[in-house]
Amino acid sequence: MTALNLAWRTVRRYRAQTLLAITGVAVIGALLFDMLLLSRGLLLSFADLLDRGGYDVRIVSGGGMTLRLPIPGSSGIARAVAALPEVERVVSLRMMTATLQVNGQPRAANMTLVGVSDVGAGLWTIVRGSNLADSASGGTCPLVVGRQLAQTLGLSVGSDVRLNAEESGVASALPPVDCRVVGIGQFAFSVPGSDDAATTLPAFYRASGEAREGDADLILVASRDTAGPERAVAAIQRLRPGASVYSNEDVVEQFNRSGFAYFRQISIVLSSLTMVFAFLLVATLLTVSVNQRLGEIAALRAIGIGRRRIAAMLMWESALLVGVGGLLALPLGEALALGLDHILRQMPGLPEQLHFFVFERRALVIHAGLLIATAFAAAAYPMWLTARMPIAATLRREVVD
Amino acid sequence: VRLGPIIAAAAVWAAIAPAAAEAPAATTRHPSILVSRQLAARAHLAVGDVVTLGRDPQGSRRAEFRIGGIYEPTPDPMRFTASRIEARLHLPDLVDLVADPADPASRESANAINVRLADPADAGPFSFDAMARAPGVIVRPASRSREDDPFAVLDRFHVAISVVTMIGGTAFLLALMVIRAEERRETVGILRLVGISRRTLLASVAVEGVLIAALGAVFGIVIAVASEGLVNRVFQARYDTALVFVRVTPSIALRAIVIAAPLGILAGIAASWTLLRRDLLSIIRR
Repeated sequence: MTALNLAWRTVRRYRAQTLLAITGVAVIGALLFDMLLLSRGLLLSFADLLDRGGYDVRIVSGGGMTLRLPIPGSSGIARAVAALPEVERVVSLRMMTATLQVNGQPRAANMTLVGVSDVGAGLWTIVRGSNLADSASGGTCPLVVGRQLAQTLGLSVGSDVRLNAEESGVASALPPVDCRVVGIGQFAFSVPGSDDAATTLPAFYRASGEAREGDADLILVASRDTAGPERAVAAIQRLRPGASVYSNEDVVEQFNRSGFAYFRQISIVLSSLTMVFAFLLVATLLTVSVNQRLGEIAALRAIGIGRRRIAAMLMWESALLVGVGGLLALPLGEALALGLDHILRQMPGLPEQLHFFVFERRALVIHAGLLIATAFAAAAYPMWLTARMPIAATLRREVVD
Repeated sequence: VRLGPIIAAAAVWAAIAPAAAEAPAATTRHPSILVSRQLAARAHLAVGDVVTLGRDPQGSRRAEFRIGGIYEPTPDPMRFTASRIEARLHLPDLVDLVADPADPASRESANAINVRLADPADAGPFSFDAMARAPGVIVRPASRSREDDPFAVLDRFHVAISVVTMIGGTAFLLALMVIRAEERRETVGILRLVGISRRTLLASVAVEGVLIAALGAVFGIVIAVASEGLVNRVFQARYDTALVFVRVTPSIALRAIVIAAPLGILAGIAASWTLLRRDLLSIIRR
């Protein structure tokens, strides 16, 4: 009889404890899997959000990525950058807080108004109606509004609204601008509880009362496939020495160093703790189980089954407990990740589409590797215990006494 | 008043300027400033040193100051990963340093004004009133509600993880108790044979469960208290902050015991019941 057969018979004989042990490993394994997903989930999700618009380089003001300040001479910079051979397309963005009110209704909502130079920029996904570029019905002020804002004000495609370039409650002498909703979209960086809308740059300037073309808050650049973002960044820096230019990878790296540190740390701490926890529990279970079966194991040794096969049997027992538990941990971990992600996404100020737990193959490989190591480590002491067990004395103590 | 960019530029200059500033220090009376412990350590500054602060890295406008003290920045959980390279100046000194001579109004401007209300509950109405009276000024309540607080979300996240860990731990505890109950099969059979009732045996298991769970919980709390300092020291060193990351409070310890004790009792009773519910002859293998 092979060691695997012996192990299989043992786990079948002690069904209740096997099932409980597998349940324990599955739950702890699910937590370990989730912590591995958390260790890079936010970064992957953030990188995905950045890449989704199709722009891989960002030009910002001297305040860096954390301070949103106008970029002096942004129009000239955008034109010069667009002419670079490494660059595919460029879009300038202006942002301000504004108020939107449906014509003839008292209700108004504060929102972030985005003005874009390229009306076809893929910074939002149209869910109803048309994009700024495709609509002829928007007149001089076409608007794409976020789903949340549309719901708040009861807006639909074709709604006529009034745009005021100040927050509600702030005294302002600026006249409101008449706009028309041409589309309803989902904004990539939309934050729950805050509303967004986008329009063309000329409409934006009219609403903000600027006499001339103002400075953009952000310039997005899409590099050519043949050049890539790093070469585009280098070319822009050669063109404008000292300009604050970042590739999406740079932005993610900055985020990794600052905002993401807490989750990376907690993921490392909890992964380590769950590993130690799983090891201690499986090792304790196997040791107690071996102690309970010392007479049985001594009898197996006495009828000629070698030390090596007994050790292999214990190894297989550990592998079965940890292996089956580890496999069950994957769907359980996915379900648990949904719940934990829901909790963490309630954090104020986070974009709606940002996720903390993102599946990647790397997490699966590490999870498997850690569980295999746990199975080996947990079986080591019981294996050592049975290997040095005196057969005759154990039989006398366990059976005769 | 918070002046982020100025503080950053000041930090750059403070880091390079002490040697250059030594000569005039003996005769000139310099205004005093405070520097953060982190800046003092990085730039090798000490109380009494004279440093030059500039409004930009080029040092186009600069002034000399004497370090009057080194302070520990107030730990801020929202910024614990940021290196606190900071200096504190008296507002008139800062205005002298950064105000545009060509713009007299620049001496009158500040980035932010912090207001402490007589009644904090008035924060909302006060904000609207102030914004209506001062066009262009944004007024925001600084206090956070439970919904706005990221630490309330983290708290819920930690509780969820504790619950999952507890479920996993309970499954293992049950498995161990089942093994233990099986080990006592003969003893339980003999006790039943001499007339001790199931209820008495279950009660004894419950008492044993309370003792083991309470001892386990106390042991866990001792480990938590012992590792508290280590965890805090590691993270404080890692992020160069005085922030306390882990604190085992009496309420947390009490909560651990209150949760562990019933779990221990239930696990013990459930495991023993799998044995005790059997027929007596089956227990003694007859």
